[in-house]
Amino acid sequence: MTSQQTQPAQGQTQRTGRDMIVVEGVSKWFDDFQALRDVTTTMQEQEVVVVFGPSGSGKSTFIRTLNRLEQHDAGRILIDGIELTDDLANLEAIRSEVGMVFQQFNLFPHLTVQRNITLAPQKVRHLPQAEAEELAMQLLERVGIPEQADKFPAQLSGGQQQRVAIARALAMQPKIMLFDEPTSALDPEMIKEVLDVMRELAESGMTMIVVTHEMGFAREVADRFLFFDDGQIVEEGTPEHFFTDPQEDRTKLFLSQIL
Amino acid sequence: MQAQLSSLSGPLLARRWVQKNLFSNRWNSVLTVITLTLFAVIAYNLLRFVLVSAEWESVDVNRRLLFLATYPSAEEWRLWPPLWLFSGVAGLAYALWSRVSRREIVILGASAAFMFLLLAEGSNGALVATGTLIAVGAYAGGRRLRETRYDTTARRVAIGGGVAVLPLALILLNAGDGVRTTVWGGVMLNLTLATVGIGFGFPLGVMLALGRASSLPVVRLACAGYIEFVRAGPLILWLAMARFVLPDFLPTVGGLDEVDLVVRAMMVMAGFSGAYIAEVVRGGLQTIPRGQREAADAMGLNAFQTTWYIVLPQALRSVIPALVNRFVSLWKDTSLVVVLGFVDLLGAARAISAQPDFVGRQAAALLFAALVFWTVAFTMSRLSLRIERHLGVGER
Ligand SMILES: Nc1ncnc2c1ncn2[C@@H]1O[C@H](COP(=O)(O)OP(=O)(O)OP(=O)(O)O)[C@@H](O)[C@H]1O
Ligand SMILES: [Mg+2]
Repeated sequence: MTSQQTQPAQGQTQRTGRDMIVVEGVSKWFDDFQALRDVTTTMQEQEVVVVFGPSGSGKSTFIRTLNRLEQHDAGRILIDGIELTDDLANLEAIRSEVGMVFQQFNLFPHLTVQRNITLAPQKVRHLPQAEAEELAMQLLERVGIPEQADKFPAQLSGGQQQRVAIARALAMQPKIMLFDEPTSALDPEMIKEVLDVMRELAESGMTMIVVTHEMGFAREVADRFLFFDDGQIVEEGTPEHFFTDPQEDRTKLFLSQIL
Repeated sequence: MQAQLSSLSGPLLARRWVQKNLFSNRWNSVLTVITLTLFAVIAYNLLRFVLVSAEWESVDVNRRLLFLATYPSAEEWRLWPPLWLFSGVAGLAYALWSRVSRREIVILGASAAFMFLLLAEGSNGALVATGTLIAVGAYAGGRRLRETRYDTTARRVAIGGGVAVLPLALILLNAGDGVRTTVWGGVMLNLTLATVGIGFGFPLGVMLALGRASSLPVVRLACAGYIEFVRAGPLILWLAMARFVLPDFLPTVGGLDEVDLVVRAMMVMAGFSGAYIAEVVRGGLQTIPRGQREAADAMGLNAFQTTWYIVLPQALRSVIPALVNRFVSLWKDTSLVVVLGFVDLLGAARAISAQPDFVGRQAAALLFAALVFWTVAFTMSRLSLRIERHLGVGER
């Protein structure tokens, strides 16, 4: 069933082949409800992986275990060679290597856009203020809204807010970016501006895991798809594989519903 | 519409307004007439009292009593340096942190001037004036330094100065022969107790609220236990305890046979208001969506940084009205120190009726005390509105 990671044939970027994320037999329970069932997969540096599946299938739970916003109860997770454990030093290392973008943006409403971006670099990486501000401006250029630096989040459109959230995550110079349905809280006309930023990020060689149902975008940028259902990876493969030759009935059914 | 209205002449406009707002229908007209009549009666009586019957002389000759009460004149010099330091810090802090509006300065200045100029007399007057000058000077200096490269230094000076006020006061009060704090009194005592009660009670309350939300059961229980315990008794009971019970529990320091009564009163004020403030802050903490902490966690901020930079600023902002409500209560509750034998503002006002010249005629003095309480409370609520508006930028 799982066609394993043997076909990275047509990745958009030249990859080094180094394992960035290793997930081995990971399970997770919320009380007696099992949200993840023995999930195993490996992601390489610069790989772009799209995760999709029905609501409640465990997609969010899965990517949230990767930066330990949720703890897994069984199995092993290695991020760039560091195992995720209760060890605080490990956690600190992981958190600064993995950036995350949320469905609801989660910007800090009491801070300006610029301060949203500079806070963590200054406090965690101890970057001097001037450097942090310069970095923030560069990132705002990159996501296309440098003129919004002094506004507060509530003064921006949803699409602009999500682009700030991306800039904020990038400010920690992560090696991996996690996106949990980054466009599903957005009005249709704003989705594209966010996807454009993500596309540019993928092209620049960032290792990315994206939970999304924007299948057009996914097909274009992803090296690999993971189809989740009932806490499991039901099927895994290239976009072409999913669009032309899905194997599992559940996959076919779900694809027929969303396409 | 707008243009139409403004093209009308003044009197006509006023008549329209009156018609529309006061006499739009029969029921409204009746209400208007009743309200106006009541208002006129009250205003007449009040004015008659203030201008004719009240014996303001009782207030006038007792200004020192109301201001400092039992505090000995010869020892007044000990009060001025800390008071001046406080004025300077207040002026500097206000210049550095506030967004200035002229109206607000007028309100603040007017109420401070009212308080002190009414209360000061003789040599006091010059000293109060010096304090005012220092505050204004510090304010002007602060405005100039703000957002220059000395900004941070100036802010540190302001914070350091603020922290130093109380120790300086205690040192001066105990220097040489020292003054027994049991003779403290008047408005100064109310102001000191309220400042200390808020200054220590607020951080205590924040810590208790955070502790109550902690994931460590021991901390959580201890904080919840403290809050529930303190809230179970009236303040007046705790003050009585401070007098009769607390000394047995406190260590004696520096050869004193017991911790000073004023200090004990301060501890009770701070500890009591801390418990209430904790519950207010807890309400604020609950308004923070989980995503805020998650975003901070995901960026690698540690627990302290998340609390300090993300959670607390938002939580406190959402409860400013309730917090200020507590502060105003505390300010008025300082009067309860009468149970410890102190003569505070209210005690002084009542003492006036015992004076041979004014036997049984305390109305004017009480009214005056009420006016002083009101002035400070009103200033607090204006300031809080201002802070709310200032912090409200970018909310929602
Ligand atoms: N904190 C929690 N406590 C209890 N159950 C939870 C918790 N978080 C998630 N779950 C449950 O775990 C399951 C997987 O949730 P998850 O959020 O990972 O799904 P998802 O695939 O991201 O769904 P969606 O597309 O709706 O976002 C769901 O059944 C959900 O109810
Ligand atoms: Mg989800």
